[in-house]
Amino acid sequence: MNDDKLLAKSEVIRVKDLTFLQRAYVFEILKGMFKAARQIFQPSFTIEYPEVRSERAASFRGRPVLVEENGVERCVACGLCARVCPALAIEVQAAPTELAKERYPEKFEINMTRCIFCGFCEEVCPEEAIIMSNEYELAFSSQQESIFGKDKLLKSAEIMKPRLDFLRDHR
Amino acid sequence: MDIRQQKILAALENKDTSVYFKDALDNEMVLNMGPQHPATHGVLRLLIKLDGETVAACVPELGYLHRGYEKLAENCSYHEFIPHTDRLDYLSPLMNNTAYVLAVEKLLGIEAPKRAQYIRTIISEMARVSSHLLGIGALAMDVGALTVFTWTFREREKMYDIFELLTGARFTTSFTRVGGLAHDMTPDVISAVKAFFDQFPEKFNECITMLNTNRIFVERLDGVGRISKEKAIAMGMSGPNLRAVGVDCDLRKTQPYLIYNEIDFDIPVFNDGDCLSRYYVRLNEVKESVKIIRQCLEKMPAGPVHANEPKKVLPRKEQVYTKMEELIHDFMLINFGVNPPVGEVYHAVEASKGELGFYIQSRGEGHPWRLKIRSPSFMNLQSTSMLVEGGMISDIVAVLGSLDPVMGEADK
Ligand code: SF4
Ligand code: SF4
Repeated sequence: MNDDKLLAKSEVIRVKDLTFLQRAYVFEILKGMFKAARQIFQPSFTIEYPEVRSERAASFRGRPVLVEENGVERCVACGLCARVCPALAIEVQAAPTELAKERYPEKFEINMTRCIFCGFCEEVCPEEAIIMSNEYELAFSSQQESIFGKDKLLKSAEIMKPRLDFLRDHR
Repeated sequence: MDIRQQKILAALENKDTSVYFKDALDNEMVLNMGPQHPATHGVLRLLIKLDGETVAACVPELGYLHRGYEKLAENCSYHEFIPHTDRLDYLSPLMNNTAYVLAVEKLLGIEAPKRAQYIRTIISEMARVSSHLLGIGALAMDVGALTVFTWTFREREKMYDIFELLTGARFTTSFTRVGGLAHDMTPDVISAVKAFFDQFPEKFNECITMLNTNRIFVERLDGVGRISKEKAIAMGMSGPNLRAVGVDCDLRKTQPYLIYNEIDFDIPVFNDGDCLSRYYVRLNEVKESVKIIRQCLEKMPAGPVHANEPKKVLPRKEQVYTKMEELIHDFMLINFGVNPPVGEVYHAVEASKGELGFYIQSRGEGHPWRLKIRSPSFMNLQSTSMLVEGGMISDIVAVLGSLDPVMGEADK
């Protein structure tokens, strides 16, 4: 069928407008059953999660992670991400360091039960130090476990390359 | 003890009288529908007084999902409030994002570039299609047709995949920004949108042909939940529900925003004001939205998606990394907010449920002094009692389904 016809305005069909066959219902029900039954032979639309997992694109916003380069995090503990976070999930504590960046986060914690995966921290970070990963499966058995410290947040820049490339190209 | 009971007791104490209860329960029953009822589309509670199977009175009780967004906004910067708008009408988050930033932009007196406006139009219309798909599917399910619901859900699911590709999240999109968008629409997304809308009309047609001539579906909706034009206007109805009573009012035409005045589309209007008309308005709106999206994709210009307003719009990332001035702007904007001029604005858009308006009162600070959300679902629900009173109890689900309220938005 052509598109113009499909997209033309449909007029109201009321009870009085139904034809005899439509009113008899049997044919309508058979038509409906036929259409529904035809779906059995269509390829299945759903996937069998968790056995099968679909790929997440680079634009996907999973849990935020800290980028690590040469064994050190990029973060300079400016606290901008903690300021912008709408869910107040981030806690940063700065301390001086010998490295060229002069400051580093002594403590960097994200409370994952608070985080809403909005990506604002990533958007404002002046050092490209916090970015969104493609991990979305998070489950905890206690409140303590849900507070991610640096040990869980740090990820090397190589692993995060697709996202970093995406940010360079499109932000 | 009231007089009637006293009389009954007095009569009972007198051994010689025999007492007849003509109508022990006054023939009326009070039924509590919701807040956990599957047909109330969320946490809406209806208190219904029944006379047999006829609804004598109905009082909708709202507020079960109240999260105090208007109050929250007073302590949020304009930027921080964007994720909250996702959670208003949770069936079309992209539309709320757009509506909110348009209001803030009006307050600031800035405008997003053309490309951003085209993209905002496309995502708004996609949000409308996905919302109406759910509305139609849920209405069909409420009156007993389950298959269509799974089919419309399938189409909606494909659309959500596109949203994920575009914004990074299926539902919590937070995609628009004051003065633009989070990022541009990539060619991948554009081709995904095109591919989706190439196959969509046929699939959609399949869904609706299952319903349109189905006797049960038509009989359940025809003439049910009728409301007159005057009453609908008086109750503040808007959107598809208002256009189903014959009022030709659509903000996209009457107060064009974004780029709607450059696009050719029709506003479907039906006259009877019953459930079936409301269904047909939605059905035709989906078709119009498809036309709008196709035109936008064709006309979309190239160019930036962020307004060039360094003091109001977040700077681009590569400039933040390399330039001092942009770095300072980044810090200033996040720490102190955009600081719009003192004043107030109201901006409304035609959302999938009706007129979604944001009223912002600013005192020149980084956060709004007052933010009021005019949510269409809240207004549409006000007429529930008018629509169901005098009807049958089983028609309540049909009426609610055809009103298509979203409680996240109604309760705010
Ligand atoms: S904004 Fe970036 S550099 Fe600043 S504290 Fe957060 S992660 Fe570190
Ligand atoms: S993604 Fe959003 S909520 Fe989560 S830590 Fe970043 S800014 Fe906070």
